[in-house]
Amino acid sequence: MTAELPPFVPGVFQAGASGPVLLGSRCGSCQQHFFPACELCPDCLSATSTAELGAHGRIYSHTVVRTKPPLGLPAPYAVGYVDLDDCGLRVFALLDPALVGRLQIGLPVRLAVAPLGTDQHGQPCLRPYFTAEPA
Amino acid sequence: MNDVYVIGVGMTPFRRAAREDLAGLGRIAALEALRDAGLTPAAIGGGYFANVLGPQLTGEVTAGQFVLASIGVRRVPIVNVENACSSGSTALWLAVNGIRAGEFDVALVLGAEKMSVPGLGLLRGGSEELETQLGMVMPASFALRAARYLHEFEVTPAALAQVAVKNRRHAALNPLAQFREPVTLAQVLDSPLIADPITRLQCCPTADGAAAAVLASGRVARADRRAVRVDAAVLCTGSYQNPTDLVRWETDRRGSRMAYERAGIGPEDLDVVECHDAFTIAEVLHTEALGLCGPGEGARLAVEGATALGGRIPVNVSGGLLSRGHPLGATGCAQLIEIVQQLRGAGGARQVEGARVGLAQCMGGDQSGDAKSCTVFVASR
Ligand SMILES: [Zn+2]
Repeated sequence: MTAELPPFVPGVFQAGASGPVLLGSRCGSCQQHFFPACELCPDCLSATSTAELGAHGRIYSHTVVRTKPPLGLPAPYAVGYVDLDDCGLRVFALLDPALVGRLQIGLPVRLAVAPLGTDQHGQPCLRPYFTAEPA
Repeated sequence: MNDVYVIGVGMTPFRRAAREDLAGLGRIAALEALRDAGLTPAAIGGGYFANVLGPQLTGEVTAGQFVLASIGVRRVPIVNVENACSSGSTALWLAVNGIRAGEFDVALVLGAEKMSVPGLGLLRGGSEELETQLGMVMPASFALRAARYLHEFEVTPAALAQVAVKNRRHAALNPLAQFREPVTLAQVLDSPLIADPITRLQCCPTADGAAAAVLASGRVARADRRAVRVDAAVLCTGSYQNPTDLVRWETDRRGSRMAYERAGIGPEDLDVVECHDAFTIAEVLHTEALGLCGPGEGARLAVEGATALGGRIPVNVSGGLLSRGHPLGATGCAQLIEIVQQLRGAGGARQVEGARVGLAQCMGGDQSGDAKSCTVFVASR
């Protein structure tokens, strides 16, 4: 049933062979990766193409936001920066709200996608977030 | 290239729910700055008006021309400036460059903000940006720096919180500051968590207020014995490099280095500093980026009193954003005003003894773990 919900915005994640993967861009000339996706490489202005950025990484930093949550997110909700294993990017991401109280810098995490909050029109939607790797 | 001096300053109290509207606040500060400079509106060759929320809250654009016309500044170029928290300092940067280029000899820079309105939520960098759609709010962006900082340098939350205690103690000496009641370390730490590890008393409040400065070329300022010279005015933008280091802020360091180079000084030459302490962690990171101490040592400066009034290098003796208050468009101007008053020896109860060289640092906006805008001014007498 979650498959029927739209993504919060298009083009940020897609289904991979073993679960969802994060999407970004890769420069056709200098091969740099970017997240969020961009149309032009800011260094050489070459066109980029969509690239899979992977699904696994480690928490670089994290916080639990305890103010009134935006976008229909749960109270509290967690966000952080995750260092991705495959491409070396450090990406801002939602973290699994169920991890509140167990978040740690260096924690190995993987991408998940589930109904989380609402989109710009206030409708329920899918959002990507990082959750703990199974022990 | 013309030398540039600050020859007049004025500001309103910063507070919640000011009686005046945006234009009224702006008028008070601008008139005071003009009178302080001893000039009439006809002497002003260019005007800059910094404001962030006006167009969004009221739908009104080009407020600068309206406000400045009401105090007699007409006919000359007037520019409306928005660069988030660094709007006021960006307006100052524009005025400095206008005078240096010889476009005019005297400029009036006014920053004003009216934030006491119903329903004003947490500020966001821009709703179209992906980070915002993933739950990024301003306190979170600094909380993420704080969490990483505590982890990397084995600093305690109490050390961070000491910055709020210090700046509140300073604000008690500033009649124009928003919060003047002293707070204890326990009060700061026990106030509600906003975004771990940042508590409410470690976040700057919203405020109404305005601040203005009159800048002039050396030709005009020569006769003014109180004139304060602008030795460096730097505006730079984030690199958005990835991976970004959240606790060694490259943009902050780059801006500081440029300012020191242009002023021909180093951090050891500074007597007084105002920096963008939107959150306690922000002051800590800025003091490190400014070279007032090494990486990981910024929190200790507050704990040991080095950045307090009477310490080695007093930081935010005005009370800073944390306690003087943070009316977005006015903040950058208010910071330079504090430096000017300190260098004039007009700092009153919070005067830094013998201050001759000061620095004001500000940042605005947030994107990809970086600041969209960073300004650094060095001034001296
Ligand atoms: Zn490229």
